[in-house]
Amino acid sequence: MRTNPITPEERGKAFATQRKPEVLKKQNLDVRYHIEDFETNDRPGRFLEAFAAILKHSNYKMALDHFIRMSAKCGRCATTCQVYQATGDPKDIPCYRSELLLSVYRRHFTLGGMLKGRLLGSGYLTDEKIQEMAESFWNCTACRRCTLECPSGIDHALITHLGRYILSEIGIAPRALVVSTREQLEGATGNTSAIPVPALIDTLEFLEEDMLEEKNVEIKFPMDVENADYVFIPAVSDYLMEAETLMGIAAVFTATGDSWTTGTGYFDGINYGLFYSDRILERVVKKIDAETKRLKGKNVLIGECGHASRSAKYYLPTYCGGKDAFPVINIMEYTHKVWKEGKLKFDPNIVTEKVAYHDPCNIARQKWIIDQPRELLKAFCKNYVEMTPFGADNICCGGGGGTISIDEIRPYRTTIGGKLKADQIRRSGCNILIAPCANCKKQLRELVEDQKIDCEVMGLHDLIYKAIIFDDSLIVKKDVQPENIAEEK
Amino acid sequence: MDSLLEFARGPLFRFSIIIMILGLARLIALDLYSIFRAHQKAGDKSLPWGLIISRSIEWLFPVKRIAHNRPIYSIFSILFHIGLLLVPLFLFAHIQLWEKGIGFSWPALPYNWAYWLTISTIIFAVLLIIGRIFNKSSSFISRKQDFLWPVLLLIPFVTGFVCSHLNLSPSNYRLFMLIHILSGDMIFLLMPFTKIAHCVLMPLSQVICTLAWKFPADTDDKVCTTLNKKGAAV
Ligand code: HEM
Ligand code: SF4
Ligand code: SF4
Repeated sequence: MRTNPITPEERGKAFATQRKPEVLKKQNLDVRYHIEDFETNDRPGRFLEAFAAILKHSNYKMALDHFIRMSAKCGRCATTCQVYQATGDPKDIPCYRSELLLSVYRRHFTLGGMLKGRLLGSGYLTDEKIQEMAESFWNCTACRRCTLECPSGIDHALITHLGRYILSEIGIAPRALVVSTREQLEGATGNTSAIPVPALIDTLEFLEEDMLEEKNVEIKFPMDVENADYVFIPAVSDYLMEAETLMGIAAVFTATGDSWTTGTGYFDGINYGLFYSDRILERVVKKIDAETKRLKGKNVLIGECGHASRSAKYYLPTYCGGKDAFPVINIMEYTHKVWKEGKLKFDPNIVTEKVAYHDPCNIARQKWIIDQPRELLKAFCKNYVEMTPFGADNICCGGGGGTISIDEIRPYRTTIGGKLKADQIRRSGCNILIAPCANCKKQLRELVEDQKIDCEVMGLHDLIYKAIIFDDSLIVKKDVQPENIAEEK
Repeated sequence: MDSLLEFARGPLFRFSIIIMILGLARLIALDLYSIFRAHQKAGDKSLPWGLIISRSIEWLFPVKRIAHNRPIYSIFSILFHIGLLLVPLFLFAHIQLWEKGIGFSWPALPYNWAYWLTISTIIFAVLLIIGRIFNKSSSFISRKQDFLWPVLLLIPFVTGFVCSHLNLSPSNYRLFMLIHILSGDMIFLLMPFTKIAHCVLMPLSQVICTLAWKFPADTDDKVCTTLNKKGAAV
């Protein structure tokens, strides 16, 4: 897919920095995102130390060795990357970006590289190079689309992930992510949105009342129920921003009668570790495991969120017991399953708008969840359209890899990161864009706003909430509501 | 010159072939060993084998390459590879040499095929070089070896063609033959140490880039200890 490269004005806007000159000077690092103050002495030395420590205790060496031996430099990744397609700046070619870190690896961690470097006295890691990495690795949305197009299997998102991990060990990581993670792991509320438990309970009770009014059905959010089949863990920001999605999910459970619960001990699926640090990834995953154990739950159920689903599904087994870890499923898998079993009914006449579905990279790239939501949508949307390419080959929303949480780079995300996606949405002509992921939703809303596209972005369960039909036995009888009767008379 | 020619096609040739075989075998062994180790260390040992195998096969055959992106480049590259692999192995004159060296032989390419494959390899190598120079993104990411490899590969094809299809004086013939053999030796020697390692490593790529996401358990603690960060705030 091709797009027109951005104009110089757009470029200026996208890369305009919001950081104060004195901070840039003090931190000696010219990047677009805010960073907490960090030690600036001997950055190259500390970078290499961190790199060495990580290599020692990880599996990255295998991939790095393979990549440096065989890169074909064929340029295929260039034509796939939405960032390069938008900027046209060769420094955004995935292969170039990865080479930043691979060259450090080759120079400092392989025998040949060390000998050559010593003999020629060249190639030692410099502050400038660290600065280039710090900028470049946060330009990439870690969507992994380029990996599918690389004959050498070079996984640029893996390199981005590793590069950010090493940088974070020397203090270079977006403040937005670090602050949220600190609250989640060490703060009083234990979640990235800093929602206290009483506020959570209030919100949910309020939603329950709303739903009773709208649907005439007692739809509940069960709290702290032990032995439930599903312990529900959405991206915690949904409690603030995606009420409709949560209501749809509660409605599905009310229709099926399966047991599910939200734990007040821990209820945040967001895992910024997937974006910048394996150490954080591990700590957050362990909290999910601990809460599920506390509640004696049987399955971990992640809400509509790509990265939360991927980090739980792939890393709960990694950090919490391999094959014996709790099974992790995504809410769309559950809804699709119960719909197939005939437990859900939808009204086919409610949604008449043109609906399209956006695949979140984190659940589609490895072909995990692609067809289920489409089958559900096609079951009750009269006018479903597909945006191509889709599925495992989808185009990133432009806010992946944690960049969505960095508010100060919004202009970058909506003029560059999401440019290809915006073209795609425009071409599809959809009125409703389904994006079952907290990150994608936020990014796509900002994207359609900034790019002036007339289209509403929502979750899959938002629509399901509209279309679901409840069994008569669940409908609360009117006669128990005296005011209603009085009004009718 | 004759003794040089003998040296190039005798000891030097055997040496290069041995280096190539050992070097490539070493790379395969290293890759397999690290795959084995990484799998052992991984906290989650399950791998999507179906996906890995289908993606590996897709890349070893040309269909996906042409269909997905850079179709013209892909066609050039594929036609280039066909000649590159077939001519050295299946040329009648080469098979005779193999028979002398290792004692057994295999069917040769028909003369006409060899003739046209040699020409097509030369043409497509030139086109690849031109493409690499003029394609903005390719030339930006290219290293020296990316430009030099097709050039180096051209030499034995051109000299071989000249020797077998042009009427040369005996001394010129020997000169071209010497260049032909020396460049061939050079190619074999360099294969394991450059990007041409892809001819044996490519089938392992998809396993590696999938397994690479399977991290070992409890790295948090170990990395913290090594970096002296135990108990430090997030
Ligand atoms: C059967 C084994 C081989 C396979 C599967 C293979 C595959 C590939 C692939 C996928 C590329 C990237 C370009 C593209 O996507 O079309 C490539 C490039 C290349 N290969 Fe191979 N290759 C093989 C054997 C060889 C051998 C034996 C040589 C040389 C002795 C070679 C020389 C090259 C060169 C020079 C390039 C770079 C072409 C350019 O300038 O873009 N390949 N190969
Ligand atoms: S992971 Fe996505 S954003 Fe990053 S280089 Fe690849 S295609 Fe571009
Ligand atoms: S697709 Fe792979 S081999 Fe080709 S240029 Fe990109 S990273 Fe290098």
